Amino acid sequence: MQHFVLEQALNLLIEKGSINLKPLDQKVVRFSLQDLPLDVNFLCTNNRIFVLNDIDRPSNVAIKLKASAFFSLFKGEDLAELLRQDQITIHGDVKTAQLLVDLLQSIEIDLEEILSRYTGDIIAHEAGKVAANFKKSTKHSSSPINVIKDGFSNLLINPTVSELYKNKQQ
Amino acid sequence: MENTTHFGFKDVATEDKQSLVRGVFDSVAGKYDLMNDVLSFGAHRLWKRYTIASSNVKPGDKVLDIAGGTGDLAIEFRKKVGDSGHVILSDINAAMLGEGRKNLINQGVFGVDFIQLNAQYLPFKDNSFDCISIAFGLRNVTDKDQALREMHRILKPGGCLLILEFSTTDSEFLKKFYDFYSFNIMPKLGEIIADDKNSYQYLAESIRKHPNQETLKDMVLNAGFGFCEYHNLSGGIVALHKGIKA
Repeated sequence: MQHFVLEQALNLLIEKGSINLKPLDQKVVRFSLQDLPLDVNFLCTNNRIFVLNDIDRPSNVAIKLKASAFFSLFKGEDLAELLRQDQITIHGDVKTAQLLVDLLQSIEIDLEEILSRYTGDIIAHEAGKVAANFKKSTKHSSSPINVIKDGFSNLLINPTVSELYKNKQQ
Repeated sequence: MENTTHFGFKDVATEDKQSLVRGVFDSVAGKYDLMNDVLSFGAHRLWKRYTIASSNVKPGDKVLDIAGGTGDLAIEFRKKVGDSGHVILSDINAAMLGEGRKNLINQGVFGVDFIQLNAQYLPFKDNSFDCISIAFGLRNVTDKDQALREMHRILKPGGCLLILEFSTTDSEFLKKFYDFYSFNIMPKLGEIIADDKNSYQYLAESIRKHPNQETLKDMVLNAGFGFCEYHNLSGGIVALHKGIKA
């Protein structure tokens, strides 16, 4: 089920962001998160991504990284810098890895618009605001988890200083 | 004997199977959707929904639904491909195709083409479809390997084949319940609701004769697909195989 959700999410992002997958056509990227149970193969073909468990042929490139490095990539961190810091290990065709990273970083989506399809406009708008605040906060923080914790602690203990509460008041 | 195949638990001449299967579906076509709802307790709708969601079909795609019968998959595919895409609903059985046409008109779905065809001989050019689906139809095909090769031929590189079919459960408890249900209750319900006990006896038997998950996966790969994975649904009573043309 995890693979199903991942595949849906990636293809939705590709569709919404009008991303061209042609440069990665027929490439298989094995992607493993070291600190989370995620070890999958991404097959890019026919301008979409399939998420597969096991494949009989070797992948073009295998990327191993920690979850924190994964978030860093999304925030625009340079792949070479993460490689230099040993936060990412790449076996195989580095060019393919760079293409995939470029693709992840080029995804710009309107989260509200996508969520509204499933939740209705009001809930999506609120979730979008929370996500935007989260994204803004993570630029100044080393750990996204801490930002979430801080946000909810503020809301429970001192709601008037909480960004979430302020959004509700608007 | 070389020229025989199975029709449920019976061995029949290969050339006779098609007309025997046609007889089954001619008989059940009118009550097909109702019987599916009753026999699966509505679960067939969830299985099909999962199939659609797994398809990765997007606007502009060309989709062929084989053995599409009453059209429930084709309706959803039509919504996904939009006006720029193309959906073909096909079935070997004219009565089932007629039910499909009726359903689509009743639901106000237009822009779907209907073709009566045999899955072993698909009348399309090579590399022409983004997705092919066959839901609860492959086990009725006489030469499954030939049909899979044909599907592979007409899919584009990177195209996706979805096979939703009854399969084999690993759970001993589920197996016992399922055996009792399918050989005792299902034919009885068929007799009461559709006035046809034999067709539902055939249904139960044909499920047992269908290849299990791993065997079907090998068949898909042997037909030329570069990748194949399956996902068990309802404890393996049903499985969705997804083949991708490399």
